[in-house]
Amino acid sequence: MDEKESVPGEGMNLTRRDFLKGVGIGGGALVLFGQFGVHSAAWALSGEPALKMVLVDYAKCTGCRTCETACSSRNRPASVGGKEFPGLGNPRYANIRVHGFNPDVDVPVVCAMCADTPCVQACPVEPEPKTGRRALYRDPATRTIRNDVDRCLGCRSCAGACAAKRTGTITPNPETGKPERICTLCGGDPQCVKRCPFGAMSYSRSGVTGNSTASGLIK
Amino acid sequence: MSGKAGYHGKILNIDLSSGKSETMAIPREDLDLFVGGQGLGMKILWDRLKKPGVDPLSPDNLLIFMPGPFSGFPVPSSSRTCVVTKSPITAPLKSDYPHASTVTYSNMGGFFGPEIRFAGYDGLVVTGKARVLSYLVIDDGKVEIREATKFKGMRTDAFDKAFPAELGDRSFKTVYIGPAGENLVPYSSILHTAGRAAGRGGAGCVMGSKNLKAIAVRGSGQPGVADHARFLAALEKARSALYGTAYAKSWAEQGTARAIVGNSNAGTESVRNYREGTFPEADKIGGDAARRDVWVKDIACYCCPLACKKSGVTKGKYGGVVHDGPEYETGVMLGSNLMISDMPGLLKAITTLDDLGLDQISTGNVIGFLMEAYEKEMVDRKFLDGIDLKWGSVDATLAMIEKIAARDGVGRLAAKGVAALSRQIGQGSGKFAIQVKGLELAAHNIQANQPRGLSYATASRGACHMSGDNIPMQNRRAMLDSTGMCFFPTFEPALEEPMLALLSAITGREYDKAEFEKTGERIFNLEKMFNYREGFRREDDRLPDRFFEDAFTVGPRKGAVLDLAKFEAMLTQYYKDRGWDPETTKPGAAKLKELGLDLK
Ligand code: SF4
Ligand code: SF4
Ligand code: SF4
Repeated sequence: MDEKESVPGEGMNLTRRDFLKGVGIGGGALVLFGQFGVHSAAWALSGEPALKMVLVDYAKCTGCRTCETACSSRNRPASVGGKEFPGLGNPRYANIRVHGFNPDVDVPVVCAMCADTPCVQACPVEPEPKTGRRALYRDPATRTIRNDVDRCLGCRSCAGACAAKRTGTITPNPETGKPERICTLCGGDPQCVKRCPFGAMSYSRSGVTGNSTASGLIK
Repeated sequence: MSGKAGYHGKILNIDLSSGKSETMAIPREDLDLFVGGQGLGMKILWDRLKKPGVDPLSPDNLLIFMPGPFSGFPVPSSSRTCVVTKSPITAPLKSDYPHASTVTYSNMGGFFGPEIRFAGYDGLVVTGKARVLSYLVIDDGKVEIREATKFKGMRTDAFDKAFPAELGDRSFKTVYIGPAGENLVPYSSILHTAGRAAGRGGAGCVMGSKNLKAIAVRGSGQPGVADHARFLAALEKARSALYGTAYAKSWAEQGTARAIVGNSNAGTESVRNYREGTFPEADKIGGDAARRDVWVKDIACYCCPLACKKSGVTKGKYGGVVHDGPEYETGVMLGSNLMISDMPGLLKAITTLDDLGLDQISTGNVIGFLMEAYEKEMVDRKFLDGIDLKWGSVDATLAMIEKIAARDGVGRLAAKGVAALSRQIGQGSGKFAIQVKGLELAAHNIQANQPRGLSYATASRGACHMSGDNIPMQNRRAMLDSTGMCFFPTFEPALEEPMLALLSAITGREYDKAEFEKTGERIFNLEKMFNYREGFRREDDRLPDRFFEDAFTVGPRKGAVLDLAKFEAMLTQYYKDRGWDPETTKPGAAKLKELGLDLK
């Protein structure tokens, strides 16, 4: 397989070579990206108020996918005849996704809550005069990215922008095209962080420990 | 979510000869009595191979991939898939049927079993034979058989890298065979993601006989639970029984490799083709050395808090990426059993075996046998195609491995296993042909461990170290391997109660310790019925003479050897306790009735 070929499917644009160079065991040091080094530096520099977000330590991740099950169990629980069953959910619908590679690297990918939100910038819907919100917007309280499904066109621009520039976490609904699988922070109690058996995730204030950015991962 | 308690109530049948697939309902009674995994797989095999003596490599044989009731739930370590089929390796000493063999089941971790359940099935049953080398794609209800001729002969690591691009999506979970399976080496394995394998018993050979290179599965569904509130409460308890405990951490630290030094010190390791139980150089291939020099990453299976699997890098002549190992079995079978103490060389052998799709245990055993035969001058260098197969030689071992996988030259005979080899070589070599019923023994030596000898002698698939050293252990293991949960977390006593509660909450059937064991007893007995029908009798539950004649000459258990009379007495008692006829090992009518196995 061409090393530079994009990882197909699941809205992920990282190339194999990016990973193998960076964290693959074939490529050397596993800890190249530092502890919890996702995007927090960008936040620190942005002048935005501090926020708490989910940060991943790739060196600790074992690829067990417990975080995916915890996320879908909370954010997309299984249902029968309209009745939901929290605690049960297919990991395929999780907002966090663990991408496994050969040589053995597992990379949990979650919304990086980018300071400059390329996803929001890409949204073509006119900002509402009162709130200034496009159909995709940052929630002022949680700082998570949210979709106003009533105004959303389903044009997939946000997903395209995220995939091209950042983590590729946004997956358009296959039918409506509206963005899905953006981290909700679980109402302030991130289930992925809580359930990871290996302590590979933290719910941290940004700009504290970071030394690189998610965009450093990306071409 | 299907809304039914614990199960979808259906399996997917794929007939590669006709190219047709269809779902088949499983009676609720079978789910209750045989659970899933090894048990339900056995029941399906029993029902559908109605006549004894079916050729394991014929289209009639079934290749069954079974998750269990835990699969598809975020239950700790609920990662296992059991592959059940009729064995292409085993044979009874006497039988009316030329192709008589045992059932075999091989259990692997990873992500495949849960995905089968997400796709809406409690199992996959593959029959028939594809016209050309093919692969199977199962995407929820959509099933496709596609040509795989361009992958012919491809080794598993290259295939693992190429297959996601072929599928166009990384979210499929895949299993595949290597060249050895395509070449119908009887002890071929089925590989799954980064060196996980259904290794023992030849499932990869059966897959090869069906012209099936790979299976990819993906699903968007979810099995249901009978008691939601109880499930959530028990899940919480199961997690806290393992998360962050010293027990879990010890697995993450060394996995099974810790036992490489431990068992050597206890005199229970396979060393020099089972001649000894202690390897003076064990520390060179043990967990401490691997942690120091090789391992970079701990790897866990689905929802597992143990992470016993390791991968890393070695340097030098044999250097490269190591997906897995040393584990206890692989490290011993290719290490101490062959007197190899060079870590990079050992890992090269392990990696090559996975790459070719060969069972690590049988292959290590076969090469050990040949090294001993060569040392004793029962075979010469010409017989070995010029390979100087000396104890401890990594290069000779690697050369032998390639020969076996290709079934080339000496590999043609060696591929048949030590029973066939010793028949051919003669000269009393049967004494050190370390097999039972045709399946090679594993990395636990038994001159100083008689109970493990019972496991090897009486296990349903031939010499299996995992079957259990006594009846309750055997029954519990047969049951555990039917649930989809891994064996390793279950040594933690605090897990037992929440595990039983989870099983009850999921299936809606109340399992306590006794019911758990009883169900396992039923499964074990059905396996015995299958084997008995094929013609296996007491004389087939026989250990090689080495264990009764060759006392250890080194180590703390120096002098240890089994006593044949004592061992036979133990077996007689075992059959009686099982409710089987001690002469013939036929399961008694009373026992079968008690277990609800008075079938037909
Ligand atoms: S739960 Fe933790 S260790 Fe497991 S895949 Fe997620 S981040 Fe990695
Ligand atoms: S959705 Fe993508 S682009 Fe938007 S904030 Fe999250 S990671 Fe950044
Ligand atoms: S914080 Fe919640 S929504 Fe975000 S990835 Fe973790 S579990 Fe999913």
